[in-house]
Amino acid sequence: MNLRKPLILTVVASALVGSLAISSVSATAASDPGVTSSEIVLGMQLPQTGAASPGYNKVDDAARAYFDYVNSKGGVNGRSIKLVVKDDTYKAGLTISTASKLINEDKIFAFFGSIGTQTHVSIIKDINRRKIPDIFVNSGYSGFYTDPKKYPTTFGGLGTYTVEAKILGKYLKEKYADKKIGILYQSDDFGRNALAGFTAAGLKFEAKKTSASFVAGTQGSLGLGTQIGQLKANGVDIVIIAAVSSATAVAYATASALAYKPTKWAVISVGADATTFQTILGAKGVPAATSAAMLAGTISASHAPAPGDATDEYVTAFKKINEDFNKGVDKRWDNNIMQGMNIAYLATSALMGVGKDLTRAKLIAYLENNGSKLSSAAFAPLGYSKSTHEAFTGFWLGEYDATTLLAPIDGKRVVYTTDSGTGEVTVSNYKRTAIAADALPKVA
Amino acid sequence: MSKVKTHKVIGLRSTRLSIVLFLFFILLSNQFEPYNQSQLANIAMLLIAVLSITLLTGASGQISLGQGAIMAVGGYSSALLVTRLGLSMWLSFILAIFISALFGLFLGLAAARLSGPYLAGTTLVMALAIPSIAVRFETFFSGDVGISVDYGMPPKWLTNLIGEVSIEEWSLYVVLPFTAVALFAVLNLSNTRTGRTWRAVRDNEVAASLAGINIARTKVIVFVCASGLAGLAGALYGFRGLVAPSVYPTDLSLTLLTAAVIGGLRSIGGAIFGTFVIVFLPDLIEKVTGKLAIPETIGIYLPALTIGVLLLLTVILNPRGAAGALEHIRHKKKH
Repeated sequence: MNLRKPLILTVVASALVGSLAISSVSATAASDPGVTSSEIVLGMQLPQTGAASPGYNKVDDAARAYFDYVNSKGGVNGRSIKLVVKDDTYKAGLTISTASKLINEDKIFAFFGSIGTQTHVSIIKDINRRKIPDIFVNSGYSGFYTDPKKYPTTFGGLGTYTVEAKILGKYLKEKYADKKIGILYQSDDFGRNALAGFTAAGLKFEAKKTSASFVAGTQGSLGLGTQIGQLKANGVDIVIIAAVSSATAVAYATASALAYKPTKWAVISVGADATTFQTILGAKGVPAATSAAMLAGTISASHAPAPGDATDEYVTAFKKINEDFNKGVDKRWDNNIMQGMNIAYLATSALMGVGKDLTRAKLIAYLENNGSKLSSAAFAPLGYSKSTHEAFTGFWLGEYDATTLLAPIDGKRVVYTTDSGTGEVTVSNYKRTAIAADALPKVA
Repeated sequence: MSKVKTHKVIGLRSTRLSIVLFLFFILLSNQFEPYNQSQLANIAMLLIAVLSITLLTGASGQISLGQGAIMAVGGYSSALLVTRLGLSMWLSFILAIFISALFGLFLGLAAARLSGPYLAGTTLVMALAIPSIAVRFETFFSGDVGISVDYGMPPKWLTNLIGEVSIEEWSLYVVLPFTAVALFAVLNLSNTRTGRTWRAVRDNEVAASLAGINIARTKVIVFVCASGLAGLAGALYGFRGLVAPSVYPTDLSLTLLTAAVIGGLRSIGGAIFGTFVIVFLPDLIEKVTGKLAIPETIGIYLPALTIGVLLLLTVILNPRGAAGALEHIRHKKKH
C-alpha cells in the first residue's frame, strides 16, 4: 500500500498530458462568451441515452435542423447559430458536470431548450448566478418561471404543467362528473406541479387509492404494476397520467396485461407523444396497429398544432425543413420534433429581435419586454414579462383517433387560457401570426 | 522507542505525501481552465470515495457495491444539517463523516457475518434501497427533487488575498483540504499496525484469528472507517449543486469500484490513477470522437463502453491494476 515514486510520476505525467489534451482555447472576442462576429453558440442538455431518452432525444436534432436552415439563409444578423448538446442521461449528478462543460469549455452564450425538470433543478441556481440566459427550457414546472426575481435568466419553453392540468382538470371534472377519476404521476416537481393543477381544478384524489406515484426513471426497471394494480383495485374509471412518454407506454402495457380497461385515459402533453408511445411498445413486441388502438380515445392537450395536422401551415413548413436538414438517426415527424423546431424558431426570433449588438443582458431584457409579442406555431400566446417567465399560457384539448392524430374534441379547436396561480380558466382570443413563405421569423 | 520512531516516520511520510498531492492539485488547477478545474474538484471528492474502497476491499477484502449509497448518507446528512439546522457548510461536512461512520457501524455489524457474493449482494441492495428512502419519506428528504445546496461564492478575504477566484476554483479549494486529510488518514491507517491487522484478516481469516485478531470487530472497524470516508465524499459531491437520489445512482457505486480496480485495489496511488481515469477519460474520448467525426449515436456510448472494456481487460489480464503492473515492471528491472 505504498505510494511509490514511479507511480506518483506516472500519475503526474498522465494528468499533465491529459490536461494539456483536454484544455481548450477560447476564441471568443465579444464581450459575452459564445458570441463572435460570425457565430452564436447555444448549449442544450437532455437525456440522449437512458430510460427517459425515448422521444426526447429527437428534440436536439430537430432544433439543430431549424438552426441549420436559418444558417443556410444567412444566419441571424450575419451570425450562424451553433447548438452544442450534452447527454445527461436524466441524472442530476451528470447534469451538473455537463453544465460546467457547456459553460466553461464550450463557452456557450446561452442555455437553450434543456430537457428535464429534476435535472434542471440541479443547475438552475448556478446558471442564474452566472447571469447566463437559460431560454425556452423544456420543462413545464412553474416554479422555474413564476418568480423572475429568483431565476431572472430562466424562460420557459412549454406551457406550465399547472396551466395544462387546470385546463384538462376542469374539462374532466365537468365531462365525467359521475366517474371516479384517479391519477398516476411521477414523484418529482413535474408530477407534483401537475397534481397541484388538477387539484386547483377541483379534482380530488385519495392517496394509496385513487392517487398513485412512482420515482421518475424507475418505470423501465421496476415497472408500474403496483400503481396500475392499485388504480384498478380502487375502481378508477378515468386515469390521468402526469409522467414522461416512456412511463405512459409502460402504464398502458401494464394495464393491458392486468386486463384493466379504464373508461378514459387522459395524459399530460409531454407524456403523450404518439410516436414515442408506439416506438416503446413496438420494442416490447406490440404491433403498431395494436398500440394505435390502445392510444385511441386518449385525451390530451397541446399548445401547438397536432403533428399529424397536414393542413397546418407551420406543420407543413417545419416538416419540410425536418426532411431537408435533420441529420438525426430518427427524424420521424412527431411532437418532439415539432417542439424542437418551434423553440428554435422562437430562439431565432429573439436573437433577431435583440439585433446586432447581442449580449446576455440584452437578450433577457428583450424577452421580458417583447417576448410576449413573439409568434410561433403555438395557438396560445407567450406569457413572458417582467413579472413572469412562463411560456405558452393556453392549451387546446384533443382526443387521439385511430390514426394516432390528436384531433380537437368535438371537431373544433378551442384554446383555453389560465395562469399558474388561482386564476380562472377562460377561452383565449389569441390569433396566431401566419408563418412567412421562407419559414423565418419576421421581427421588427 | 523504536515503535514510536516508526509511527513518527510513517506519520511524517503520510504528511509529506498528502502535502504533495495538495500542491499537485493546486499546480494542475493553475494550468487548467475552469471546466477542468471543476473536473479536478470532482476527482478530489471522488478520490475520497475510491479510497474508502481501497480500505474496505483492498485492505480488508470486503466487497462493497454500495459505496455510492453511503455517499448519499453523507450528502443528505450535510444538506439537512445546513438547510434545516442552519449549520455552517464546513461543520456539516465534519458531522457527515460521523453520521456516515455510525451508519457504517450498523452496516458493519451485519456485514461482519457475510462475505464474498453475499456481502456484494447486500451492499448492492443498499445502493438500490437508500435513494428510494429519500422518496418514501418525501417530506423530510425532499423526495426526487432533492435539496439544493452549493459551496456558495468565494469569500471576500480569499479574493482580496489571491485575486479573482472562479466558482470552479473555489469548489476545488473547499474540497482539497478534506482530500489531503483523507489521504493522510488512509496512508497512516494502511501503514501502521491497524492496516497490517486488516491485511491479515483479508489474506487468511483463520490464521489471523489464531494470531489473536478479533475478526468480526476488525471487519466492523473497517466498515466504520470506509463509511466515514464515503460519507465525506458524498457530502462534498452533493454540494456541487444538489443532493437528490439521481445524484447518487447505483452506477455511481459501480463507477467508484471501477476506478479502484483499474488503478489497483490494494494501492493508494492506484486509487488516484483510477479516479483520474474515470473522470478525464470520457472527456478525452469525446475530444477524439469529435475530431474523428464519429456519429453522435455511437459517440455517446463510447466513454462507458471504453471504461467497461478497460475494466474487463484489467480483471482478465492484470487483476492488480495499473499499480500492480508498475510494481511488476519495477520488480523486473531490479532482477
